[in-house]
Amino acid sequence: MLEISNLSKAYPTPRGELPVLRDVSLSLQRGESASIMGPSGSGKSTLLYIIGALEPPSSGRLTIDGDDPFALDPKALAAFRNRAVGFVFQDHLLLPQCTVVENVLLPTLVGEPLADGRARALDLLGRVGLSDRLDHRPAELSGGEKQRVAIARALIRQPPLVLCDEPTGNLDRESAEAVASLLLTLHREQKSVLVVVTHSPTLADRFGRRLELNEQRLAPRRMAS
Amino acid sequence: MSRSWFVLRSLIHYRGVNLTVVAGGGVAVAVLAGALLVGGSVRGSLRDLALGRLGLTDTVVTTPVFFRDALADDLLATPAVAGEFDGAAPLITLNGFVTEPASGRRATGVQVYGVDERFWAFHRRASQAPPGRNELLLGEALAREMAVEPGAALLVRVERPTDVPLGSLHGRRDDVGRTVRLTVASILAPSALGEFSLRQSQGAVRAVFVELSRLQEALEIDGKVNTVLLSTAAAPVDGDDGGSRVAAVERALRDTATLDDLALTIRTLPEREALVVESGSGMVGDVVAEAVREAAEPLGLEPRPVLTYLINRLSLGPREVPYSLVTGVDFPAFSALSSRAQRRSGLWPEALEYPPILLNEWAAQDLGARQGDIINAEYYVWEDAGRLVTQETAFQLYGVLSIDGPAADSDLAPSYEGITDAETIVDWDPPFPINLGAIGPRDEAYWNRYRTTPKGFIELGAGQTLWQSRYGQLTSVRLLADADVDGGAVPDLESREAALRTALAARLDPVATGIGVTPVRALALGASVGATDFGEYFTYFSFFIVVSALLLASLFFRLGVEQRVREIGALQAFGFPLTTIRALFWGEAIVLGVAGGLIGTAGAIGYARVIMYGLRTWWVDAVGTTLLTLHLAPATVGIGATAGVLAAVATIALSLRTLRTASPRSQLTGALPETSRDAREGVGSVWVHLPGWLGPPALAAGGLGLVVAARADAINATAGFFGAGMLLLTSSLGAVWFWLRRSAPGSITQAKFWAVVQLGLRNSSYRPGRSVLCIALIAFAAFIIVAVDAFRRGEGDSTDRASGTGGYALLADSLLPLGDDLSEAEGLARIGVTGDGTGLDILESAAIERFRVRAGDDASCLNLYRPADPRVVAVSDRFIRENRFSFGATLAETSDELENPWRLLRRQLPDGVVPALADANSLTYAMHLAVGDETVMNRGSEREVTLRIVAALADSVLQRELIVSETHFRRVFPEEEGFRFFMVDVGEDRAAEAAALLEDRLADFGFDVASTAERLAAFHRVENTYLATFQTLGALGLLLGTFGLGAVLLRNVLERRRELALLRAVGYERRHLTWMVLAENLLLLTLGLGIGTVCALVAIAPAWLERGQRLPYASIGWLLATVALTGALASLAATRVMARSPLLPALKTE
Repeated sequence: MLEISNLSKAYPTPRGELPVLRDVSLSLQRGESASIMGPSGSGKSTLLYIIGALEPPSSGRLTIDGDDPFALDPKALAAFRNRAVGFVFQDHLLLPQCTVVENVLLPTLVGEPLADGRARALDLLGRVGLSDRLDHRPAELSGGEKQRVAIARALIRQPPLVLCDEPTGNLDRESAEAVASLLLTLHREQKSVLVVVTHSPTLADRFGRRLELNEQRLAPRRMAS
Repeated sequence: MSRSWFVLRSLIHYRGVNLTVVAGGGVAVAVLAGALLVGGSVRGSLRDLALGRLGLTDTVVTTPVFFRDALADDLLATPAVAGEFDGAAPLITLNGFVTEPASGRRATGVQVYGVDERFWAFHRRASQAPPGRNELLLGEALAREMAVEPGAALLVRVERPTDVPLGSLHGRRDDVGRTVRLTVASILAPSALGEFSLRQSQGAVRAVFVELSRLQEALEIDGKVNTVLLSTAAAPVDGDDGGSRVAAVERALRDTATLDDLALTIRTLPEREALVVESGSGMVGDVVAEAVREAAEPLGLEPRPVLTYLINRLSLGPREVPYSLVTGVDFPAFSALSSRAQRRSGLWPEALEYPPILLNEWAAQDLGARQGDIINAEYYVWEDAGRLVTQETAFQLYGVLSIDGPAADSDLAPSYEGITDAETIVDWDPPFPINLGAIGPRDEAYWNRYRTTPKGFIELGAGQTLWQSRYGQLTSVRLLADADVDGGAVPDLESREAALRTALAARLDPVATGIGVTPVRALALGASVGATDFGEYFTYFSFFIVVSALLLASLFFRLGVEQRVREIGALQAFGFPLTTIRALFWGEAIVLGVAGGLIGTAGAIGYARVIMYGLRTWWVDAVGTTLLTLHLAPATVGIGATAGVLAAVATIALSLRTLRTASPRSQLTGALPETSRDAREGVGSVWVHLPGWLGPPALAAGGLGLVVAARADAINATAGFFGAGMLLLTSSLGAVWFWLRRSAPGSITQAKFWAVVQLGLRNSSYRPGRSVLCIALIAFAAFIIVAVDAFRRGEGDSTDRASGTGGYALLADSLLPLGDDLSEAEGLARIGVTGDGTGLDILESAAIERFRVRAGDDASCLNLYRPADPRVVAVSDRFIRENRFSFGATLAETSDELENPWRLLRRQLPDGVVPALADANSLTYAMHLAVGDETVMNRGSEREVTLRIVAALADSVLQRELIVSETHFRRVFPEEEGFRFFMVDVGEDRAAEAAALLEDRLADFGFDVASTAERLAAFHRVENTYLATFQTLGALGLLLGTFGLGAVLLRNVLERRRELALLRAVGYERRHLTWMVLAENLLLLTLGLGIGTVCALVAIAPAWLERGQRLPYASIGWLLATVALTGALASLAATRVMARSPLLPALKTE
């Protein structure tokens, strides 16, 4: 489903190109999950954003369900992201002007109309344990609650690919555990491809494939002895 | 949830910043729509004022020669006029002045109307009690000025109408006015026609209404008037030029005007079986003479032209004959007379050394003359320059006539008041000096016996060479029955007279002979557009406020967008296309713009109300009236509001361009494009920097190009000023933008205090866009304030011949035309200035220049109405030679013209076009003309005059008029008599004495003297008041700029709270932070002021050089210092707010 082959990324700077990713290859099928670890600045988030079609690679190829998103025009690319990718960010990025349910429904404002959008949002919010906070504003939620809203929002269109950038980075251990469990549960239910970037070995170990970015290359993570 | 719901949610959530955007947009709309409302209100007020003063008058028939008052009814009875008009009223309209004998108080420039019940009925005010025989009705403004109540006695003096031109020998230059003593019956409010006026001016109208027959009696013109008012039932329509109605009246005039109305008479001379056509002016003009010839032929009448002239002295050696009439007749008549004369055979006229003259036996005897003797003739000539000169010519005696038959014809002389009606020669009262001592009993005996019988006859051509004037070449045309016509077929004399009268009236076009038809209502509506389009000017000068407000709105909107940049990134991550995101923000922008528009519309009304109040009070010097009121026109408000909303929405939406340049990834990290000098800076840097390198210089070059073009008069000066200003400002701001964005800003190496300041200066590049916006706000305000101040004018110098006063200390207007030359002893003697104690020493030390005037609209800035028919002043050759005043643009080509541009007025242009010049201000702002343009006077009539502007005077006291040479003036305005405008070059120390003396001696002429310096100051006051108005607008812009500066500063501080907190944490004191922020702020302020000032000085250079002014360094310096101080204080206040806010908690959050 997700196929990455020989993907590289470099940023131009006044002092020449700065390579971030080099010859990265990865293949994940539906229902598979993977965690990516690595030191700060190793290019984890860059890889995640490239997988999410938010940033193009410098070279290499990426396909999702056989489609190369970077071959699409901007409009089709946006529609692709709306349909195929769900994002969960470290700091949740809830829109402060919208209520909990409105935040979840946000991706349904564009793209193909979702007939049972609100019902699905309520269902998802019920699943993440926020049925009683539907009309609350983000400012009225705890960090964990916000992240659960963000997960519900990422899944509203049942995307085949869910990408999480440090989803528990700002959470205490207990909340982090709850969010991770929730993610995995929903991932299993939806049989999506789940890619999580994290600094937490504990979290990383909970995913099927454990990968590590080091010196711009992606490789299976060596387990601590 | 829908997208609109999302937009609404966002609007409410970010209400703080949104309210500031709405406020910015609201200010823009208020100022823009308000400016248009002000323009509309001034136009509306002027329109109301003009229409109110006209009453029901639509079209007016006027003439310099008085006509029958029955002409009004005759006109209305014609189908042409009856089809267009529903009322007509005859009246006398004259300029005059009023004196209250009790107090000596005097008011000049008074409109004196001779009216009867027909006038009040015409205006549907039949209930108005007309003045009694010795009463007058006084307009409220004049009553207030004179401080009189009903019952007060007033002396009203007006110009005496005369058919005999003042510029002819027999013109009564010593008797040009009439005074009547009348009692004030009542005072008329403006609403009761108390300010009735046919000419547009926003100032108070001084009006006096006198009973028509009483005025006719005083003026000795029974049953005659000089004006007919015509009214139409149709409502006034903008854009209607009244042409069809004028044409209808002109047609009717041709049908109804009689010879009486044209001051022509036909007399019968039964004893000579002849008719004689004469003019009230004493001279039969060429047009009339030709019409007589044409009319006579089909009637079997033979025209015989006649020119009779008064010879002061005929002499032959020591012998002389005083005051004889000599008549010029055409060759057949002269031959016929010659054949009757006693003369030697064989002597033919062509053999004579001098033109032949036939003397009657009386004169020949007195002179002892014999055939062939050289007879000297001495006679007066009134020169067009306004001087009586004695000229002499010689004739050769060709024969002597006995006084009988055609040689005993006393009807060859026209009737001259004071001469032909006198019993004896010593009773003569001519308007020129006569030597009574030369008159002997034999002369009186001739007068007693033969009256005006000529003593000599010459050939007509010879007489015309000597005595023709611009009024004509004949004194009468005699018509005899054609000898070839069978006597039986010739009708009797009375029938011939009637037939000639009809035929002549049909051939004479009253319009061509001076009767004018003016569509006063249409002209008033046209003039109400105003000399100055206040809407345009307020829009121009509010432009920078509008831009400032829009920049401010854009700035805050952009701040809002920047605040939500991560939100934008997230939306993109969720699959929102960029177009959808932009549409959402567009939606917000439109709502904010419309909200701003609604608030701004209310603001516009308030703004316009305040400006109109200001024009009536604080800035009344600029408009000269307190009658301007707010006219709310929904269309005007709508246009202004729509334009403002569109501008606001467009400006706000432009902020969304930010979204295009930032990648979703960078947006998700909260990074803004302008702060992330990452990707593009190193790659292809030449192309990245090219716009920065080329843009500002290109714009600056464009701006300088416009400056040069404006200086060379290649483009309109106003457009040049604003265009150059905008380009130079944009160029400078662009340069600053690229400077702030430079990749290597230099290192901070100094220690302590200076390092802190450097750090502050470096902060200005934190958000270069914001910094440039702040600089722009300040620069725009500084630009307008400096540009406007540079145009401020000071006092005139009455001693400098190149200054705006021309070196004349005084100028004067005379209500009644003055014929004498006050720069010569004879002229002074005529006004009683003859020796010691009479002020001779004062006026002898002065040079008095006089000018002919064709009355018209005031073209100066004192008149708000657009001068459709400007006043024209004629300058003499002597004045041209003086080469006073200074010039701006001219069409001078030759070295003579370049040295003295006044000489341009002497040019002979093709097609009779008259070269004219005027003050540069009047040309540009009132008449809307440029050097090289042409303007047409009497447009549409048969007496159209085209004037070409050949030069512009630089800031002069001559702002009310167009100026032409006297030679051209006499050609195109022959009906204008005497001199009515004067300039006096007299030492400053004696100016007051000279003014008092002239006003005293010429009181009967309504002579009104003013100081040129004061007059110039009055013009400058108007201009300076306008400038003050616009500076106020500039100050408002500065207020917005300062507000924006403070807001941006605070925003920057808030965004950098963690940085500042960090600095505190590492040991920086509050004062360090204060200096740091203050340094940043002062940098922006200084750049703004500097850019605004320099751009303003460059943009105004063409106008400034044209005016030849010195830059008011002091006032501009003070102004800038004040602005800088105000800005610094505002910065300090903002900095203090920052310094007091708790920064350290910022380290613990986020």
